[in-house]
Amino acid sequence: MSATQQISTAPRLKIVGLSKTFGRTKVLDQVDLEVAPGEIHALVGANGSGKSTLVKVIAGYHTPDRGARLLLDGAEMAFPVGHGNPASVGICVVHQDLGLVGHLSVLENVSVGREHPSSVLRLLDRRREENQARKLMERLGVSLDLRTTVESLAPEERAVVAIARALRTEQPGSGLVVLDETTRALSRDAAESFYRALRKGLSDGSSVLLVAHSLPEVMAVSDRVSVIRDGTMVANGVPTPQLSERAIAKLMLGRETAIEVRAHAPTTPSTGAIQVRGLSVSPGNSLDLTIGRGEILGLTGKAGSPWERMPYAIAGVERPRSGQLQIDGSILDLARSSIRTLLANGVALVPERRDTHGVAAGLSIKDNITLPRLRERGRPWYAGLRWQLQEAQAAVDVLGVRPGDLRMPVGKLSGGNRQKVLLGKWLMNAPRLLVLHEPTQGVDAAARVDLLQAVMSAADAGTSVLFASSDVNDLSAACRRVVVVHDDGPSEELLSSDPDSIVESVYRQVARGGAA
Amino acid sequence: MSLTVRTRVPAHRRRPSRAVVDEVLARTAVIMLWALLLGFYVIVEPTKMFQSATVHSIFASQQPLVFIALAALTTFVVGEFDLSVAGILGLAATLVPVLSVTHGLSVPLSCLIALAAGVTVGAFNGFIVVVLGVDGFIVTLGSASLLLGVALWASDSVPVAGLDPAFGNIALTEFLGLPLSFYYGVAIALAFAYILAFTAMGRHMVFVGANRDVARLAGVRVDRIRFMSYVVSASIASIGGILVAAALGGFDASSAGTYLLPALSAVFLGTAVVQPGRFNPLGTMVGVYFLATGILGLQLMGAGGWVVNVFYGLALVLAVSVASVVARRRKSS
Repeated sequence: MSATQQISTAPRLKIVGLSKTFGRTKVLDQVDLEVAPGEIHALVGANGSGKSTLVKVIAGYHTPDRGARLLLDGAEMAFPVGHGNPASVGICVVHQDLGLVGHLSVLENVSVGREHPSSVLRLLDRRREENQARKLMERLGVSLDLRTTVESLAPEERAVVAIARALRTEQPGSGLVVLDETTRALSRDAAESFYRALRKGLSDGSSVLLVAHSLPEVMAVSDRVSVIRDGTMVANGVPTPQLSERAIAKLMLGRETAIEVRAHAPTTPSTGAIQVRGLSVSPGNSLDLTIGRGEILGLTGKAGSPWERMPYAIAGVERPRSGQLQIDGSILDLARSSIRTLLANGVALVPERRDTHGVAAGLSIKDNITLPRLRERGRPWYAGLRWQLQEAQAAVDVLGVRPGDLRMPVGKLSGGNRQKVLLGKWLMNAPRLLVLHEPTQGVDAAARVDLLQAVMSAADAGTSVLFASSDVNDLSAACRRVVVVHDDGPSEELLSSDPDSIVESVYRQVARGGAA
Repeated sequence: MSLTVRTRVPAHRRRPSRAVVDEVLARTAVIMLWALLLGFYVIVEPTKMFQSATVHSIFASQQPLVFIALAALTTFVVGEFDLSVAGILGLAATLVPVLSVTHGLSVPLSCLIALAAGVTVGAFNGFIVVVLGVDGFIVTLGSASLLLGVALWASDSVPVAGLDPAFGNIALTEFLGLPLSFYYGVAIALAFAYILAFTAMGRHMVFVGANRDVARLAGVRVDRIRFMSYVVSASIASIGGILVAAALGGFDASSAGTYLLPALSAVFLGTAVVQPGRFNPLGTMVGVYFLATGILGLQLMGAGGWVVNVFYGLALVLAVSVASVVARRRKSS
């Protein structure tokens, strides 16, 4: 590759003024990014921050808006990058699933996609492939038998094979490897040995753009960190030693949108409390919760961990390994109860995936809001129209859905208004327990206030609310008690609504590790 | 930012605007096209088109299409796909004359057995698709071939005739100039439309079709509805088959397959009428008679038999294209 011949001081990757608009939504707004030769540069951001869109632009999947520039080793690139094949310009993307074929050997996986000059030369070529693969393994400082199948390898070894394949086309000292959540499936020890191999393989000057969820990992391996939030870079290439996990988390989540704390929320469980006992969604993980009448209990943990399945287990959507729900004198076995049983007992769920699980985009606001109550409120052969209109209108008014045309298909509303319809649908069910998962994800600031206010009024009226969210600002605004679920130890209950202490607790777990 | 009391804008009222005009146009486009088509034929072939026999043949001769289209619609509404409906109609229409004429069973018993056979096939489709989780398109494509084979075997591959003419009265007795079988189709379509629009069950069906997970999370018995859609679809097709056999006095098993394509065209065409973007029974009826008018006009103008295939094929492609464009425009602006 010609880049190695030039002694250049240009950054490996330079992005200037990159915006990306989908329809009417601006997902990325004038983003800049610089990755130096030979560095591991971490890119972090919360869900919906625009991080994945940026990665997809770099991977040649999206074409950005007009005016964006992307330079590799000083050379201007046209969009889509490498005409959709980024490897042709020296960018290798390793995705979370690694893209390996399990029943093929290490050698075959590393060499897949190489063109054989001719079948006569294939034998000779095979020897060359083997040599190249062996060299790659040496470069990464690992000794893997090239003939073993990939499925018999440990997860971290598999990740190394994926990296080896990514580096195959690179001359030592050039190129950019994008690791897109590659280590998400790895344990902490496995990730460490993976990063050792990566460090070694890149010591000669290849660059890495590390897209990772795990902040301890970012702290441990990266040289510099860029943080993206709401489509803009809020920290651009800050040297990692100047940062802490907490500082990064704060940058990711932002602080300026604090909402007035709920004043008269009960802080201790009172009569009529709802109890969750021994809820377990993964091995070695068990949770007890008590949610008082009219209380909004926060539930949080690290992004991508098993706690995110708990709201669904409590609503009967997913079967947990075990768990019990005590509600109004009935005791329900969550491992056996259906959605219908839990609905009948007054549990309602606002799921995170609004557009696939929350509302039906092609159907009207009215139809979406009244769906759960058609049977009990109507007669078998006539569902009734007046109550539907009244109820839908009430939900639209309480939450401020705009435009409030009840016949409008929900798909034509903005994200915030779709979320309002979804919350309205379940608030109108007058639930005993309202389970919310990421209820303000991907909504604008004004809609967020409306949504939180509606949840608080429901609690004031006596509904118990389980507020599962990774947004610390929401948790601190709505909840007095927050339960932080840890993967590797008992969960922790915080009585404070201070966002900093929530962040601290969420990210304390790795340091605490085995001690707990 | 702290919480502020929101000033509430009164519920949004829309004045008649371009959007309303667009909406009216969208809902009636196919009906107007139908009128245009009729007008065109009247001008080109004034003498033939004005005969009452022509009108009669448009509305009286489409029973197989109507029932197959409504049967297919039952599965489409809930997001399933049944290609075996024509086969089920064919099986029922073959069984009635075979059992009563060839095997000497009484006519009512033959009808009952034909209906039971159809329902069994529906339950079989439903079981494989819903319980075993196999793709409905492939399963029902297979059932369609299987049913054609069974019908040919039962009838020794020859058209069976000789049904009691008195039995034909249940389909052929005229009322206001049109045979009863026409009204049966209209009645089923109206009942279907009522169920979808005004009952909880109908709304649940629409949600299952629109978004299965949303329905499931709202406590709708999604799998039961999907399974029942195959059973009900098969029942409608079987009843259609019995009426067709009654009207014709027998049935040619090999002819059933020819009804599938135009019936599907009518269903997709129907999504552009009455409730744009949705499968709906009244739209389907309009679709059936629209296609019948088109074919008849072409035939009156002297076109050969090949025109039927060209017209139905073209209509299906156009109808599906229109349906998906309309649906896309409705879902997002």
